[in-house]
Amino acid sequence: MTRTIEFELNGKRRRVEVEDNALLLNLIRDQLDLTGTKYACGIGECGACTVLVDGEPVLSCLTLAAEVDGRSVVTIEGLAREGLTKAQEGLLKAGGVQCGFCTPGLLIVTESLLRRNKRPTEEEIREYLKGNLCRCTGYTNIVKGIKAAAEE
Amino acid sequence: MDINSINTKLVPVRFEYFRPKTEEEALLLLDRFGRNAAVIAGGTDLLVKVKQRSQEPRAVISIRGLASLSYIEEGSKALRVGAATRMVDIEQSAAVASRFPMLREAASIVGSIQIRHMATIGGNLCNASPAADGSVALLALDSELKLASARGRRSVPITKFFTAPGRTVMDEREILTEVVIPFLPPGSGTAFARITRTEMDLAKVNVAVALTLKDRQIAGAKIALGAVAPTPIRAYRAEKLLAGQEPSDALLWKAAEEAAAEVKPITDVRSTAEYRRDVTAVLVRRSLLLARSRAGGASND
Amino acid sequence: MDSLQAIGKKLDSSDGLPKVTGRSIFASDVKLPDMLYARVIHSPYPRAKVRAIHTAEAEKRGALCLTFKDVPQKQFNPRLVSTEETTYKDWRVLTDEPTYVGEPVAVVASETEEEAQAAAELVKVEYEVLPPIMDTQDALLGRQLVHRQILLASKEIPVERNIACTMKVEQGDVEEGFAKADVVMEREYRTNRRYHAQLETKAVVCAPDSNGGLTIWATTQTIHNTRILIHEIFDVPMNLINVKKVTLGGSFGSSIHTNIVVPIAVAVALKARRPVKLVYSREEDMRDHASFSMIFKLKVGAKRDGSLTASTLDMTMDIGAHQVQAYPLLSTVFGWWASFYKWGAFRYNGVAVYTNKVPSCAMRGYGNPQTAWMIETFMDELAEKLGMDPLDFKLRNYVGEGDVFWGQGTTVKTVIRSCGVEETLLKGADMIGWRERGSPTSKTGALRQGIGMARGFHTSSAGAPISGAVIDFSGAMVKVNEDGTVDVVTALMDHGGGTYRALARIAAEELGVPVENVTVVQSDTQTTVYDVCTHASRGVYAGGGAVLKVARQAKEKLFEFASKILEVDAGALKVVPDRSLGQGIIYVEAFPDKRITIGEVASYARQKNWGTIAAIDSYRPTSGPPHFTTYFVKVEVDTETGLVRPIQVVAGADIGTVVNPELAEGQIEGGFAMGWSMATLEDTPFDERTGDLANRGMLVDYKLPTAPDLPLVDDFKVFFANTYEPTGPFGAKGLGEGAYNPVAGAVANAIYNATGLRFYELPITPERLLKALKAKGESRTEEAVVGAK
Repeated sequence: MTRTIEFELNGKRRRVEVEDNALLLNLIRDQLDLTGTKYACGIGECGACTVLVDGEPVLSCLTLAAEVDGRSVVTIEGLAREGLTKAQEGLLKAGGVQCGFCTPGLLIVTESLLRRNKRPTEEEIREYLKGNLCRCTGYTNIVKGIKAAAEE
Repeated sequence: MDINSINTKLVPVRFEYFRPKTEEEALLLLDRFGRNAAVIAGGTDLLVKVKQRSQEPRAVISIRGLASLSYIEEGSKALRVGAATRMVDIEQSAAVASRFPMLREAASIVGSIQIRHMATIGGNLCNASPAADGSVALLALDSELKLASARGRRSVPITKFFTAPGRTVMDEREILTEVVIPFLPPGSGTAFARITRTEMDLAKVNVAVALTLKDRQIAGAKIALGAVAPTPIRAYRAEKLLAGQEPSDALLWKAAEEAAAEVKPITDVRSTAEYRRDVTAVLVRRSLLLARSRAGGASND
Repeated sequence: MDSLQAIGKKLDSSDGLPKVTGRSIFASDVKLPDMLYARVIHSPYPRAKVRAIHTAEAEKRGALCLTFKDVPQKQFNPRLVSTEETTYKDWRVLTDEPTYVGEPVAVVASETEEEAQAAAELVKVEYEVLPPIMDTQDALLGRQLVHRQILLASKEIPVERNIACTMKVEQGDVEEGFAKADVVMEREYRTNRRYHAQLETKAVVCAPDSNGGLTIWATTQTIHNTRILIHEIFDVPMNLINVKKVTLGGSFGSSIHTNIVVPIAVAVALKARRPVKLVYSREEDMRDHASFSMIFKLKVGAKRDGSLTASTLDMTMDIGAHQVQAYPLLSTVFGWWASFYKWGAFRYNGVAVYTNKVPSCAMRGYGNPQTAWMIETFMDELAEKLGMDPLDFKLRNYVGEGDVFWGQGTTVKTVIRSCGVEETLLKGADMIGWRERGSPTSKTGALRQGIGMARGFHTSSAGAPISGAVIDFSGAMVKVNEDGTVDVVTALMDHGGGTYRALARIAAEELGVPVENVTVVQSDTQTTVYDVCTHASRGVYAGGGAVLKVARQAKEKLFEFASKILEVDAGALKVVPDRSLGQGIIYVEAFPDKRITIGEVASYARQKNWGTIAAIDSYRPTSGPPHFTTYFVKVEVDTETGLVRPIQVVAGADIGTVVNPELAEGQIEGGFAMGWSMATLEDTPFDERTGDLANRGMLVDYKLPTAPDLPLVDDFKVFFANTYEPTGPFGAKGLGEGAYNPVAGAVANAIYNATGLRFYELPITPERLLKALKAKGESRTEEAVVGAK
């Protein structure tokens, strides 16, 4: 079964046809060609597929595309209107980006964190990131980068 | 299950999706499809099951964000929580923080921040995992669960709700609409504890405890245990041991040992039966001690 | 080195920008018009014969189906790092005799992923199920064989008792050595079977050209070996195969070999004459590769004065159902062990055994993490028997400067020219409070802290003075553009360790340009010369060595042109980067009017038809000098629950000149997280009944540490030893694997210091720890102790 949904994607109104069982992740990546959001586990363990729906961080691999009808979605490509967010810069400067596969999901969650808490402690940052797996960095430089971004 | 039928990259099952605007509409749809339908709220349990082919619905009925099922209301005797209320909203609710700090604790460690923005208290209960953190907390709080179908409504105490791993008393046309949590009497303290492999994990064992002290005696003791039996359970024998007694360290230790004797844990990919039993005693003891101090009782050893 | 402009400085990175904006293209992001989506059909049995495959229903639905009959029948080894003579081949593109749950037996391709999934479910495969071999002991009884015959190079050889390959090395008289010893200790160790859990699952896009050629984008650590392998399997000439670089989402050794998805996708593309995309799900990926698990028997003789007299190591290795690099691993495990301490006489016996499990391949450290864990915990225990502090015992006996290092095995030997082991041990000990750590018996209470230490190393490439069994060389091209900026073209891959940035810095340093002027080009097999692979921590040492070599050659040409323009002898010219001008400035000392920018030289050369300032060449490292690391780890053990937390880490690394400080630190922090995980969390047990992974490939049951599981920023200290490697570019060595190898040993030793318990099996889970704490006092292992003399 297909249906038409209308939603806002990175600030732009979109109207697309989706299957009832289509996942938001695949709508974004395969139909709309925004490949920054990643598949890495499909069952909610790793956070690589995180996007903002109505400003809140959710897992697009466990969200049906049909659910975003009438809502707004922000992906990594639309995180910064222009230039880079402080977190994007912070991560780069601190050496918190290695292979880069976890980076988009992580930055989306960080955006949510910093909107809610302008001066998070290190413990709060780590707790907030616990749903985002990184196999490369050991998180130290990521945390340093986010802390630096928050302190600016 | 054939490994080639499982595919976590997509939803390998075709279904019809419905987004009813009201609870009544949802119930009518459910009545129509019966066991061929699945209700979806956050999707963090259902879609994983569908990807793994342990559920193959022909219709998916979304109650996500349905206003009539998403609320936290303080009544005169109890807190009423709509079944579609998300874990993150329970975590952030001032009413929950003041009335049931232990429930806030449990809700705040479920999964990740992303999962908590999706998962609901109702979904946690209806998925009926014996390890569900929300279920265990609510079990210690003696919650009442309201069920509804197109044919009527009924109320089930949580102690009668779970029947087997993944199974509840709900029939295929019912949805959970509300969780009613009676306020704890003054002099109460609660605690929640769990053991996992990493910080983002399902529990190997989880424990929720509610103690009420009156005149330096235990007026009420509720101990709920998760992941150590086919369903979340209450440690009734341990509770009986505590009732009416003075909450000495020695008694609390003894109650913890008794609770550990009541469990029927299994060995699975996450842990061993032996470990789960041993750690039940430790967690119950630590939780009882903490609950006691929160209830205003001090250590006397 | 203060005179260095780019090396060692904290400078902003450029290749991170696309990663933080979601614009990097990984293999799974490549999309082409008219593309098909493929879905592999895997054997659900660990051992079976395919009797029939019915594809009619799937084909009726419009899917393209291929079985083993539709692909080349050649046997191959997907890893081409070893020389042909030492390469064992037992793989096929698709098989009719699956040997592990997950082995590809067929593939379908459709217009969408969902269609491909539906088509795959319509394919019916009839199996004759055979009894599987699920452990090495059973395998060695030889009642059933995983393979009856395999190829060594192009010769068929029989397989006996499921032994894939063996190796023996001996030096000196070990029996005499043990007889001389005051204490002889023997222990058996079992490692876990880890999964790389690289975040990007294996993926490939293959597009056929109208001239019979192919373009391939894939998760690979070596574009050239991928091209060579596809040529060998499909007989397509190499000049018609182009493997393009993409960003790689982590690998940790799982794509040193060409992943099976690549030849499968090629087969589909050649049949369909359309581009094909094949991306593994996580559960497919977990059934695709794993690390090697080992059973070690280590025996060491020591004298009361702390010297070592002899050692023997017997190693049985479970390699799963196919060889990727079992034979060279037998060699490297020997090499790591022989290079740890001066054992005296030694004897090694290594056996690689087939089982019907997921095939093993290299995982970061290539046998060194397992070997280091075994040795460093053994030496801790032996030190105690001798009444010595483990630190002093290890300091007394380590293989260091001036000694022979057997990196990467028997044909890769180097004399160690730079070594900071002592510095890392002593300074690290100071920083963490090693001498004040207390003995296990002094610890009380429910929560106990302990400090453990382990040292380790890894090679920087597999270079050696003579050519042996391992191929190791790199090529590069450097060219100066007409505006003075620089392009560096190399086949080397960067899997996130900062290799490209290091190469850019090396080129910038040598040519005297600001590092922002250097681009490391995202290239392909057609426009690069051969690089064997980004592995063995060789990115900076060998890859950088190649860039340095050609940068020097380009600089000669640059100076030749500049000298003509300035009318000065080339030998008098110097160059320095001017960051405000954004140019390299060529000048002559004491003659301020003799100055010209690199851009001006290049532009002038173009106007005068002199040619491009460029160089292209290959570089073979003639040594593989070890980089050394030492970890001190403080843990807290909850003795009532068996839970262990890492609360403080001090890590010292000797990597020669530090090219990229924050990235080097990042490697160490990442290495620690992975090592912590190896020690306490990771394993892939198999379900005896089904022969499948017990966790069914689901990441929920392959746990990795999350941010709150690891120490706070201020509790993780990294320092670098002050060393300089004379054979490395600007004195640099590698780091990637040394950052990981010793961690599990340090963690295990810390747990011992906190609890008095030693473990001879990984992972050390709370279940095992609590069980042992309860039974404290009992010893599980046999001990041979010779009386005091």
